Amino acid sequence: MFGYVRPFRPELKCRDYDLYRATYCGLCRCLRRRYGLIAPLLLNFDFTFLALLLWEPEETFIPCRGRCHGNPLRKLPMCPDSPALELAADESVILAWWKLRDSVQDDGLWRGLPARALSGILKPAYKKAARRCPEFDRTVRACLEELAALERENCSSLDRTADTFARLLRAAAPCDGARGRVLSQLLYHLGRWIYLADARDDLEEDKLAGRYNPAAARYGPDGDDGALGLTMDNSLAQIGAALQLGDFGCRTPLLENIVYLGLPLVQRAVFDGSWKEIKKQKIWRNDT
Amino acid sequence: MRDPYSVLGVSQNASDDEVKKAYRELARKYHPDNYQNNPLADLAEEKMKEINEAYDTITKQRAGGYSGSSPGSYGYQQGYASATANPAYARIRNLINAGDLNQAEQLLYEVGQKDGEWYFLSGSIAYRKGWLDEALQNYTRAVQLEPNNVEYRQALAVMQRGSMGGYRPAGYTSSAGCDPCTAYLCCSCLTPWGGPCC
Repeated sequence: MFGYVRPFRPELKCRDYDLYRATYCGLCRCLRRRYGLIAPLLLNFDFTFLALLLWEPEETFIPCRGRCHGNPLRKLPMCPDSPALELAADESVILAWWKLRDSVQDDGLWRGLPARALSGILKPAYKKAARRCPEFDRTVRACLEELAALERENCSSLDRTADTFARLLRAAAPCDGARGRVLSQLLYHLGRWIYLADARDDLEEDKLAGRYNPAAARYGPDGDDGALGLTMDNSLAQIGAALQLGDFGCRTPLLENIVYLGLPLVQRAVFDGSWKEIKKQKIWRNDT
Repeated sequence: MRDPYSVLGVSQNASDDEVKKAYRELARKYHPDNYQNNPLADLAEEKMKEINEAYDTITKQRAGGYSGSSPGSYGYQQGYASATANPAYARIRNLINAGDLNQAEQLLYEVGQKDGEWYFLSGSIAYRKGWLDEALQNYTRAVQLEPNNVEYRQALAVMQRGSMGGYRPAGYTSSAGCDPCTAYLCCSCLTPWGGPCC
């Protein structure tokens, strides 16, 4: 997706860092096993967070070892395959596909060529994933279509446009029972937050290109960082409140780090423009 | 019922102070203020009841079966209690509390005259839906129309606190500046150096 959802490394305990890394590597392996050699390209931090969130609560975590996709000579600790990991893998393929189709339509004949080529390669994987989660596939398609329609009519309501992406992400978790309600609420506001962060990040670029931008449509061409920041903070508060009501077992400290430290930090970086640099950094490196 | 000690997350032989501390922390976490008009308020209320009962049981057990001082348990009062003049508004409030937002929205649009309460209720519906920008605008309008209404002002204040509001577990408070609970202390002269702490 976008990579906005990541932990704040300096405040992570070693065991939580190991857990995060093992989940990341486990998701990579799961993508490779289910969807073939190019699927690990779709691996990202946002879906690692989703996998952590969807995991059934466990008291302790025992990794197994597996070969790294990037460097098959190395063996790394990885999370064993689980329903949460598989769901996150399926959903990242579906979302990647529909985003590619989106840019194929937006970018015209020539500029849309790379996206067209990529989506051709991804098609078999998408078909498989859509068979596995037909409901999510339908929701993503409907929400992105709705979003495109709102963009075309230059919608000035921040909530209405953000709502489409928020509902899309909400559909990523099963919604039944108390746990389902907690996850739905959390993911709704996470989706809203990601959409708004992305809107702020693209503000300058969209202004130059003359494209629609929800923050510009709501607050004027230069946006309004105070008001946008406040409404994003409000979504963060809702995410935190929902997180506290769920049982996440040994993953709780890691999830809390992401929600209470990672997201606010990324938000600040997006607002002061340093995000473009931070985005490229690998969080595995030791010097950051 | 679950073991009261595991509900509070302390061991059987924890001291009275440790039990109390654990209870306070949990009560702070699930405090009704953090879940006002939140679609998950009922889940928080359940948690609150559970920890109140657990703390009650432990204090009774430790007092040797004698029911001594009951804890100053934090109560949960759900939804809106304030009286409204307009019967339509009362129905809308009930619908919002029951989570039937579509019906509430429809009824609200049938009310012709837009006063402070209209904007407040419109804001509450938006808040529940997660449309926080619209909620803030409506609450602001409600306060403008009726500046003396405590209910409207409180709803607006919660949203304006932004990242300062709500519960954060210990250790995650630094990045947001100041913990809301100690914020009261910060602003007074209670710090050892007699000034603000942050």
